[in-house]
Amino acid sequence: MKGWLRRLAVRSRTLGGRIALLFIALLALVMTTIMVVAGSGIGLFAHQAAGRDLASNARVFERILSDRESQMAQAAGVVARDFGFREALATGDRATVASALVSLRERTQAQEVAVIELDGRLIPSAEGRQIDGAAIVASLNEGRDTGVVRLDGTLAMAAAVPVELPDLIGWLVVIKPLGPQEIAELARLSAVQVQGRVVERARLDPALAGLALGEVGELETADGAVLTQVSALQPMQAGIEPRLVLVYPLALAMQGFSKLQWLLALIGLGGAVAGAWLGLRIAQDISRPLGSLAQAVRQYGAGTVAKVPVAGASELRSLARSFNGMVNAVEERERQITHASLHDSLTGLPNRRFFIEKLDRAVARQTAGNRNLIAFIDVDDFKAINDTLGHPMGDALLRHVARVLQERFPEAMVARFGGDEFGLLLPGLEPDADCANVARSIDAALNNDVLIDGRQLALSCSFGIAVGPQDAVDSDNLLKCADLALYRAKNDGKGTFHFFEPALDEEASRRRHLEIDLRRAIRDGEFELYFQPLYSLTEERVKGFEALIRWPHPQRGMISPVDFIPIAEESGLIVQLGEWVLREACHHAATWPDNISVAVNISPRQLMGDGLQQCVVQALAATGLAPTRLELEITESVFIGSIERTLKLLHGLRSLGVRVALDDFGTGYSSLSYLRSFPFDKLKIDQSFVRALDDDASAHAIVRAITTLADALSMETLAEGVESAEHRETLRQAGCQMIQGYLISKPMTAAAASAFIASAPKREVAA
Amino acid sequence: MTLRGNSRLARLAAILAFAPVLVSAAPPAELSVQIVDKAGIPLRDAVIEIARPAGDTRPVAFGWRNAMAQRDLAFIPGTLIVPQGSVVAFPNLDKVRHSIYSFSKPARFKIDLYGRDQTRTQRFDISGSVSLGCNIHDAMRGYIRVVSTPYAAKTDAGGNAQIPGLGRGSYSVVVWHPTLAGAGNEWRGQLSAVPGQRSRIVVSIQPRAAR
Repeated sequence: MKGWLRRLAVRSRTLGGRIALLFIALLALVMTTIMVVAGSGIGLFAHQAAGRDLASNARVFERILSDRESQMAQAAGVVARDFGFREALATGDRATVASALVSLRERTQAQEVAVIELDGRLIPSAEGRQIDGAAIVASLNEGRDTGVVRLDGTLAMAAAVPVELPDLIGWLVVIKPLGPQEIAELARLSAVQVQGRVVERARLDPALAGLALGEVGELETADGAVLTQVSALQPMQAGIEPRLVLVYPLALAMQGFSKLQWLLALIGLGGAVAGAWLGLRIAQDISRPLGSLAQAVRQYGAGTVAKVPVAGASELRSLARSFNGMVNAVEERERQITHASLHDSLTGLPNRRFFIEKLDRAVARQTAGNRNLIAFIDVDDFKAINDTLGHPMGDALLRHVARVLQERFPEAMVARFGGDEFGLLLPGLEPDADCANVARSIDAALNNDVLIDGRQLALSCSFGIAVGPQDAVDSDNLLKCADLALYRAKNDGKGTFHFFEPALDEEASRRRHLEIDLRRAIRDGEFELYFQPLYSLTEERVKGFEALIRWPHPQRGMISPVDFIPIAEESGLIVQLGEWVLREACHHAATWPDNISVAVNISPRQLMGDGLQQCVVQALAATGLAPTRLELEITESVFIGSIERTLKLLHGLRSLGVRVALDDFGTGYSSLSYLRSFPFDKLKIDQSFVRALDDDASAHAIVRAITTLADALSMETLAEGVESAEHRETLRQAGCQMIQGYLISKPMTAAAASAFIASAPKREVAA
Repeated sequence: MTLRGNSRLARLAAILAFAPVLVSAAPPAELSVQIVDKAGIPLRDAVIEIARPAGDTRPVAFGWRNAMAQRDLAFIPGTLIVPQGSVVAFPNLDKVRHSIYSFSKPARFKIDLYGRDQTRTQRFDISGSVSLGCNIHDAMRGYIRVVSTPYAAKTDAGGNAQIPGLGRGSYSVVVWHPTLAGAGNEWRGQLSAVPGQRSRIVVSIQPRAAR
């Protein structure tokens, strides 16, 4: 019971505790109220019942008294009517009369029997009785022939019958005592144990005398509270007022009811205890599943998958089921999210992040005897494939690559890094494993013709391979190594692979330094523009110059554009560089004669940005150069990408009056459709065709075809890399209008260009 | 004193008897008396006796039978005035039998049960009142007043009684009734009678009977 209460107190903050406490409190309140109300009700009822008992008892008493008196009257009547008795009386035979009275007294067990004559004279059964005959006759004359009389100073009950001879001559009176003994005897006849006594009114206690007749009153006595009633008894003697006093001890009256009250209290207590137990049970039934649910939630929050048992009431079962369902749903979603976050949606392969995690673990275990091989794979010219064949085809190709790699290397982890890049991790290579063999295997798998959607495609992939721990001991560096190797493979001409070598790292380092230097050079204006003349065969004069950038590095001397332009392209510095070239070229050209134009190379990166047209307008405005004297050279690669956008830009530039030339024509993804959709002002025939003119007849045919085509499209043609007079003549015959190359002049400084222009007429003569 | 009064009356009566012309206008001599109790209620069946004046020789006889019948468990008439020495018949007119008794001093007797249409007789030699009862019917009460004067009558329901043969004068009167207070249930006194005028006698009755 004590522990039980302590538990309850501890739980009072919990739901279960509150329910139980509320239950118990309510029950206790109800029980207490019932007990108080019922108890006082019972008390009141008992009190009233006792009062009623007493009142009815008084009536019973009076009734019994009157019955007794009737019996006495009956017995007396027999004698009073007896002829012999009357005769004896009539003849004054006192002895006979007295003997008859004695006989009657004994027969009725009376205290006294007497004849009282009308004038009050007494004929008693025995001498010495104190009876007030006159007072009794006075009462009898008023018709009260039964009642209380005074005999020898004490009250007694009496009954009188007339003695008639045949006229009334007196009364035969029978008197019986009315003492405590007789009253007690009477009391035994009544239902309840009351005490009674008969006293004269004058001798009543003051407390009793104050009570109204027939009313039940409550008095405090030495023996405790009593109910009492005083009622009048009929006197049969003038001048006395007898009173019947009945006393009923309250304790006695309430005896039965107090038992009832105890029983009620016991029932109340039992009910409260049972209710408390029930409240605790219900509270537990609710709080226990809630507790386990809360615990499960805590565990789940901490990361463990926790389920709760489905038990208890239907609501709780439903709650538990819902919770378990929620856990499952969250698990499933988490799994999906995890999968999505670690996998590529297109190919279903792990993504870069997952790959790196796996690599981290593999690298942590790697030793010389337990090597890791990673390959960085890139689909060559994927952008072109996407653009020309469409994205669905590109996606199919990527899925093909993924499938092929997985099939060929089931023990390896193959991941897609995004775009057209894939990674392959082959862990646990033994010391004598042949990495070159692995590389060849990849090469064989990927560099193949493939059939996708019924179309034959020449799949070409480049990849770089790095092996830990010999190349790098951590995953970041291992990835970098593989990346460098890939870069090298791409540079080597695509469709091939390269193992990482320390030299690659050195080259990468050089490129990084170069990029840093490049930024500084742009900031400090270290670049110079050189100009190479563009010679018109038809007019036999220099019609313009191509502006070419040169970087005289303070420490490393002149650096070739072939070295730094790719770096500038990659880093985005080409945009700034291009703008500088444009302004500088326009600036110099503005100093030249009006019939000499300038050609500026525009990087694809510049075309992709938004600022080119603005830049051109500003350069022209700043230098005052006529737009027609500016020629922008773009390469075919600009058409890989958003063709519409590029065309729009070029049209915009041409509307300014600026001329546009297509550089290196014939080397890239040349498409005649470009030529049709954008009418270039000039085609620059790549120098490879010019060089080939010496020993390849077909080159001659190609040049011829180009010039014919250009003619048809009203475009000028210019041949690059012309070094000999033979070339010049061949080109002239092929219909080429302009040439450029060492035959005319090497690129020269701006000052030299100005001088070159000034001397032109003389050389023209010389030519 | 009584004698002297009586002789004067007798003389007066004689004069009147001999002077018929004079008294022819006067009504016949008759004494009218009413008996009431203190409350003024007339007393029925009270017997009024007026003592024979001195020299009066009128025989003691009345106009009714000396018989006390029993009918419907009652004595008929309830009160009977008989001359001293007369024999009274007790005819039983009931279907039941009766047993008549008396404990009264003038005549103590007991007649054993007798049946219907039987008659018993009893002689009453002493004047006074005799209370009759039936030994088997307690409620039956009968009274016989044995008188030695011819001037006796019992009151009717209005408490009135006419006693013929008596003129103006002062008379010694006894009134008897079973409920009358006083010795022998009698009232005694003098009455001054005026012919044609009703005399009223007020008596007291027993308290018990008054209720």
